[in-house]
Amino acid sequence: MGTLKVKEPVYPLLSVLSSVTVLVFGLVTAKSVAASVYLGGVWLLFLVFGYWKSCLAVLPFAIVAGGIFCGITYALSKDATTTYAAANRIVAVCVAVIPGLALEPIALIRNLSGLRAPRIVTLGMMIALGFFPLLRSETVRIREAMITRGAGNVFNPRIFHRAFLVPLVVRLVNISDTLALSVGTRGFDPKDKNYTVYREVKFRLRDAIFALLLVAGSVAAVVV
Amino acid sequence: MNAVRLSRISFRYEESRERTLNGADFELNYGEIALFSGASGSGKSTLMSIICGIIPHITTGEIYGKAYIDGEDAGGMTMAQINKKVGVVLQNADAQIIQSIVEDEIAFGCENFGMSREDIALNVGRACDKMGLSPVWNTRTLSGGQKQRLITACTLATGQKIIVLDEPLANLDGEGAEILAGALRKLASKGYAILIIEHRVDKVAPYADVIWHIENGRTERVTDKSGYVSQRVARILDICAPSSAGETLIRAEKVGFRVKDRMILSDVDLEVYRGERLLILGENGCGKTTLTRLLSGICRPTSGRIERFDSKRGILGLREKRHDIGVVYQNPNYQLFMPTVEKEIAFGAKDKAYARETMRLFGLERLADRHPQSLSEGQKRLVSVAAVCASAPRVLILDEPTVGQDHENLRRLVTLVSELHSRTGNSVITVTHDARCADALCDRAAVVAGGTIAMTGGKEVADNFFKNTEKRDIMRFYTQKSKVKLR
Repeated sequence: MGTLKVKEPVYPLLSVLSSVTVLVFGLVTAKSVAASVYLGGVWLLFLVFGYWKSCLAVLPFAIVAGGIFCGITYALSKDATTTYAAANRIVAVCVAVIPGLALEPIALIRNLSGLRAPRIVTLGMMIALGFFPLLRSETVRIREAMITRGAGNVFNPRIFHRAFLVPLVVRLVNISDTLALSVGTRGFDPKDKNYTVYREVKFRLRDAIFALLLVAGSVAAVVV
Repeated sequence: MNAVRLSRISFRYEESRERTLNGADFELNYGEIALFSGASGSGKSTLMSIICGIIPHITTGEIYGKAYIDGEDAGGMTMAQINKKVGVVLQNADAQIIQSIVEDEIAFGCENFGMSREDIALNVGRACDKMGLSPVWNTRTLSGGQKQRLITACTLATGQKIIVLDEPLANLDGEGAEILAGALRKLASKGYAILIIEHRVDKVAPYADVIWHIENGRTERVTDKSGYVSQRVARILDICAPSSAGETLIRAEKVGFRVKDRMILSDVDLEVYRGERLLILGENGCGKTTLTRLLSGICRPTSGRIERFDSKRGILGLREKRHDIGVVYQNPNYQLFMPTVEKEIAFGAKDKAYARETMRLFGLERLADRHPQSLSEGQKRLVSVAAVCASAPRVLILDEPTVGQDHENLRRLVTLVSELHSRTGNSVITVTHDARCADALCDRAAVVAGGTIAMTGGKEVADNFFKNTEKRDIMRFYTQKSKVKLR
């Protein structure tokens, strides 16, 4: 994900909204030629706004997945219009994920914090972000421990439950207890309104231009 | 005015029948570093929890006596009010990190205290400088020592004048300990009150102005500092007869191990002989644990080869007779999974009679029906060693068996491992940075440095290694003191 980073990303919430917009308008207009023009235009818009790495990254997937789904659709329907719509839908999904691929989760969290979203929500998001790498490393350690104790067969439900799930749950409970204490002793209080947002994400002129172009394109796709 | 004063504090946890603290007194003054020590389960962490407000605001129970923080009765303070005066560095840094960037992690506490953005930026920069961190580092890729420094930096940035640290040296290597001790010394000289809770009194005592001891829930200010320290750093005696090199059980030839671009080990040549006790030494992060993982066959080398030998079968395959090697992890929680201690030890045991014999030898019969995860950390450690030993491995690998162990628990554990070694003639490989048990677990020592085996030899190699480490510690201490005076 880090390799798809954008130097100056679009305002994070706008980035999420743009994904939803592209997906909705792309799917709604999928049967028309305007959809292809619209999706191509949005792809170019992302490219111009610095998302070129993500734009290029989705191309191979769009070609392969598009090819497979179009093939299946044509084989089932024998109808060129339906196949064309299927191709547009796949492309709509691929274009919609471009901002998501480049969006750093911390930017979205900062954005929400700046908008004074409930602190428990933003803290929960931060913890969730760190949870998956933690889960992976704990899983590896427990698997190794199982092997060293001669309980290596995870396909045996009893062994899986006792030697894998029990230590995993115990570890996760211990970690969450420590985390709760740590957050509490560092002054976190979900009810406290008197906190500072250190890094605020600001809405800039380029974000407004991006939003205007996207809205204009989306409306044009429906009207045309 | 004292920074912290506890007067006749008694505390009983809700789920417990006995009091953990029983009329404990304690004082900490501004400009002072206090070391607080005592056996496992003696009440150190409970006392810390009272000082930083975890008790009674998060953990509940029956509490008597008075606690004063910065002259104010803590009984009338909220947790947030206490935490504005007391900064806390808890154990297990790994589990406390929530942000992906160092700067954000350090800023988190400052944000909670409502500091201005300018102040946060200033404090983050200062804390990073003090702890040798870069604000742009990714927190997910930090080493254990760097994570410990990061959590300490988070507390330093919030600027409380009273700082409490619970086993802060547990994951720090020489350099990390030097950075932390230097920073704490400077803070104390600027009027901060610092409380350090540590088992490793020898490491902290040179920096401490006062030492407090806790036993059976009662505290006592130590008057004879040097006598107290020497009592707790006494080396455990070797009770085994020296072994001569037998046949080779494991041979590592030109072994290397790399993770992505990072070379952890390279060109490692090492043999493990039947019936020997091999000590693996080195600074944190030098690759000691990786070496034991390779020797035990848990992971494969990225270059070179490791062979295991059997007198009857010759060279063994990677998965053949894997139970011949028993590994005891640094954290016993990973290896305990059966519903009772008795079943835990019987799981994978050579036979039932041997499991019973092992349980008796380790003195675990009275805990036979307890759930292993319900035991204290010291007891869990004993159960994990007993469970691995019950499978009668030809090679027993102990990874940092001293972490979180007080002197008495450590002596007991080392004696048991030595007795089993004398009885069974197994090979024991121990990874440790603890001089107290080194002599008792060593026939041969190998020092890992620069990603390879830098030196091998007898007990004298281990002796020299620890003497040099101590010399470095003393040098650091005097260098820091002189720096403080100059300022």
